[in-house]
Amino acid sequence: MTDTDTPVSGRQESTVEDVDDAQTVVTRVVDNVEQVIVGHHNEIEHILTALLGKGHILLEDVPGVGKTMLARAIAQSFEGSFKRVQFTPDLLPSDVTGVNIFNQKTEEFEFRPGPVFANVVLGDEINRAPPKTQSALLEAMEEQQVTVDGESRTLPQPFTVIATQNTVERDRTYELPMAELDRFMKKLHLGYPETDEETEMLDRIVGEHPIEELESVATLEDLQSARETTANVTVERSVREYVTRLSQFTRRHAELGVSPRGGLAVLQAAQGRAVLEGREYVIPDDVQTEAEVVFPHRIRTSTDETTPRAVVENALESVRVE
Amino acid sequence: MSTGTRSRDLGVDLADFDPVRTVALGGIALLVSAYGSVFYHFIDVTGQPLAFLVVGAITLGAATSLSSSLRLRWATVVAVGLLGAGLTLYVFSLPRQPPILPLMTDAIALMTGRSLLQVTNVDLWVLGVAPGPLFLTWYLALRRRYVAGVVAGGGTLGFLVLTGDASNVTTLLGVVGGIVAVAVGDMDRRGDSLQAAEPLAVLLAALILLSAVAPVVPGGPSRTADSWSSFQTGGPGVGGGTVEANLVEADNQVGIAGNLSLSPEVRFRVESDAESYWQIGTFDRYTGDGWIRTGSDHSYNGRLDAPPGQSRSVEQTYTAVDDMSVLPAAWKPVSVGDDVADRALVTDLDGLDIDGTLSSGETASVTSRVPVASGEQLRSAGTDYPSSVAERYTRLPSSTPDRVGDRTERITARADTPYDTARVVERWLENNKEYSLDVQRPRGNVADEFLFEMDAGYCTYFASTMVVMLRTQDIPARMAVGYTPGERVGEDEWVVRGYDAHAWVEVYFPEVGWVRFDPTPAGPRQAAEQQELTSARENNRTDVDTNDTGTSEWTPTPTATPAPLTPRAEQPAQEAPGQVTVPERITRPGSGPEENVTISSPSVTAAPTNGSGGGGDDASGPFGGRPPTREETTLGAIVLLGLVVGLRRTGVTGRAYRAVWLRYQPRKDPETDAERAFERLEYLLAERHRPRRPEETPRQYLAAIGADERATQVAYVRERARYAGQVTREEADEAVSLVDEIVGWRGA
Repeated sequence: MTDTDTPVSGRQESTVEDVDDAQTVVTRVVDNVEQVIVGHHNEIEHILTALLGKGHILLEDVPGVGKTMLARAIAQSFEGSFKRVQFTPDLLPSDVTGVNIFNQKTEEFEFRPGPVFANVVLGDEINRAPPKTQSALLEAMEEQQVTVDGESRTLPQPFTVIATQNTVERDRTYELPMAELDRFMKKLHLGYPETDEETEMLDRIVGEHPIEELESVATLEDLQSARETTANVTVERSVREYVTRLSQFTRRHAELGVSPRGGLAVLQAAQGRAVLEGREYVIPDDVQTEAEVVFPHRIRTSTDETTPRAVVENALESVRVE
Repeated sequence: MSTGTRSRDLGVDLADFDPVRTVALGGIALLVSAYGSVFYHFIDVTGQPLAFLVVGAITLGAATSLSSSLRLRWATVVAVGLLGAGLTLYVFSLPRQPPILPLMTDAIALMTGRSLLQVTNVDLWVLGVAPGPLFLTWYLALRRRYVAGVVAGGGTLGFLVLTGDASNVTTLLGVVGGIVAVAVGDMDRRGDSLQAAEPLAVLLAALILLSAVAPVVPGGPSRTADSWSSFQTGGPGVGGGTVEANLVEADNQVGIAGNLSLSPEVRFRVESDAESYWQIGTFDRYTGDGWIRTGSDHSYNGRLDAPPGQSRSVEQTYTAVDDMSVLPAAWKPVSVGDDVADRALVTDLDGLDIDGTLSSGETASVTSRVPVASGEQLRSAGTDYPSSVAERYTRLPSSTPDRVGDRTERITARADTPYDTARVVERWLENNKEYSLDVQRPRGNVADEFLFEMDAGYCTYFASTMVVMLRTQDIPARMAVGYTPGERVGEDEWVVRGYDAHAWVEVYFPEVGWVRFDPTPAGPRQAAEQQELTSARENNRTDVDTNDTGTSEWTPTPTATPAPLTPRAEQPAQEAPGQVTVPERITRPGSGPEENVTISSPSVTAAPTNGSGGGGDDASGPFGGRPPTREETTLGAIVLLGLVVGLRRTGVTGRAYRAVWLRYQPRKDPETDAERAFERLEYLLAERHRPRRPEETPRQYLAAIGADERATQVAYVRERARYAGQVTREEADEAVSLVDEIVGWRGA
């Protein structure tokens, strides 16, 4: 059990102090966001742990439940740049990545960066754009760079994509393929707010919307160092084995189960969860909490009797914890 | 007995391991090794165990390979054929072909308790007899006919029990093996799992424990090696207790006992031409723990051969004072007077014996030819031994340690002739070992033990050791028992008491015959005997004196001193007139068909009047206070297994272990301690609430059962130990003491 030699991502382990600092930053952001967003506390935490774990987030729900608002609130809580892309059926890849324009004065082509060049990119209704455009964004997410006219350009750091997608109007959308869904660390569902929450929300946004006055409470450096701390949170062998058992369970009980990349993603998210709770080590509880949102979109079931979410729940209720 | 009814009855499939079958075969193996160990002992006593082991291995191999192909009927034929062929070969190997009738009576004698060790060429006998039953037993077991196999093996063991060669412990081991084989074999045939054998294990433990209290084999005490430990109460040698009883009680075997006492009672009177040791028997086969005379007696029919060399005639007349079941004679007897001629028997070693008893007042006259040879003659006698003598009297158990020979070699390095060697060994023993009747009988090879481990012993030890030492040098020697001359009450008359019984050594010299040597120090022994007599007289015992004893000992005038009969004359210490080494006593009570001297257990009473006798070490348990033998260890292990199974079935061990486990936590490193503390907590919470489900994290579990802060803290410490890989000593200690607190002493 004292197998401390191989934390998931090398380097020295995070100290209690590091974790405390990171936790403070995250807590500040959460409080800030909650000035705007009523309810959805768990989802806010999930987004932040994903941010800490260097993951991208996909928000999926019916229109009008505040997906965009949530993403904006989080983006604005940091000092960094924030861009928003509204995906439409006629959006071109260059509209996302940027384009080379001939400058008459200098008689040279100069690069005009697209909206993807920002610290936080909100991709609204990503499933409405055609696959070619989608994949431009997805490449940026995966590679942390974009290639325009054969030239690669590095994206600013930190770089996080929060995408939303609609679950209505299915017939006029381009469903993201499994392989690309996999790029998102988490897929979250917001759902409708509770009755009193909804009332309170209406209260708040009548008149001037509070989002306009939301101030940033953390610098990009804060986020960067919190991410570093997160990457160095201890993950003992027994936890890694637990993750492996969970992944394998899903593979046995679904047509397509969780890939090793999914296992890595859940560990990174769990590290973020540990930081959020002020721990310098991951416990199985972290894994369980994160698996609920990290695993389902990576699982495909063949029958109607079961859903990916049910498979994950089944795994959490069957796989032994050590 | 039709052949296999089911296909799985046939064939040995060693590939797939079947625990039930293994245990059943293990039972058979136990049974086989029980009687095999007895056979092995025979072989070991007489020489080369290698041939026996090879034959055994071949037989087992043949049984294994034939078990799948050979039909049962033919296997039986093979086994019977092996037995018949073996016995036939054995009979033809005998030096002279005995007629059928004595063979039959011999067989009956064996069945009624005559040790197989008395059989001539017992090694050939074993090699001839052993393969048949072994083949059948193993063949049947491999064919899953366990009951039949146990019958075959048990029959063999039973025969050895009847001959008295299988000790109680060996027998018990065989019985246990048989029971296991039958019971587990039955399970095997029915396809039960080994779980079902648990009651059997308990039963066996009970059986062994019971038999440790009540002897399983109620017959005569056994005489083989492992009987020493006297697994049962008392063990053999019930009549032991005096040197005389030990030496004389039965005439075909002499054992070596623990501490003994002396009896001052008068046994017989001798009128003789010359002073001599009154020999009553000799023994040729050394078993490592005693002596056995091979061959059988025959009736006296006229004169016996005189010794090959020069000899002088000595007439003796013995008058029994007490009932005597022996017929003493100075070596070597050549004829017996008419008074007992019809009752006299001649042993295979040319000694005399008597059928029945000489009752008080009866007389027996014997004429002997005593070899006369000077030391010079004996020195030049050479080593041209007749092959039959060399064969019979230089044999030692192959288990005799080499160090006996090495030590003898060193002691006798400067002795060139067998005679000198014998004298050196005799004197060395006399000078280097103390005389004492109060000894703990050693386990193992007596001669080896006496030579290397013991400081003191009595005549049997001295004589046995000397014979063995000489035999390591290829000098034919044998053990003789009888009486020392006794108290001389007239010029040609001696009174012999019980304590005069003695054991000495006879060494063979070509062209001379058997010559007596006595390695026992005479002085201390006489002192012990004299003290015995004095105290008996003080107690006004009437049976210790005759009319003419006790007053003043008759001293021969110088002219009357008999010419030295043997080279003993060269030993002044032994030859002082009237002071000849005084042996201990004789008389064989109950001369039934039983013809053995038993080897007593170490429990022996010191003579009541003799304060020097120490009851020292006999305060031992049923195992005699010695390290247990292999058989006892095996039985002990079975008992232990049974007890464990029994306790497990009742759940006692589990509960006891848990109770201790829960309350006692030894400290190790902090991680282990924290983990262990949490395990204890979990156990406790499981008892009070419910067990943690495997898929529950500790946090979920504690939350679900609403555990208190102390439990949460313990879980937290364990969490750090387990998932952070770092926990401090203080934290671990805190967790342990928290759990201690939660457990309390009345917890769980």
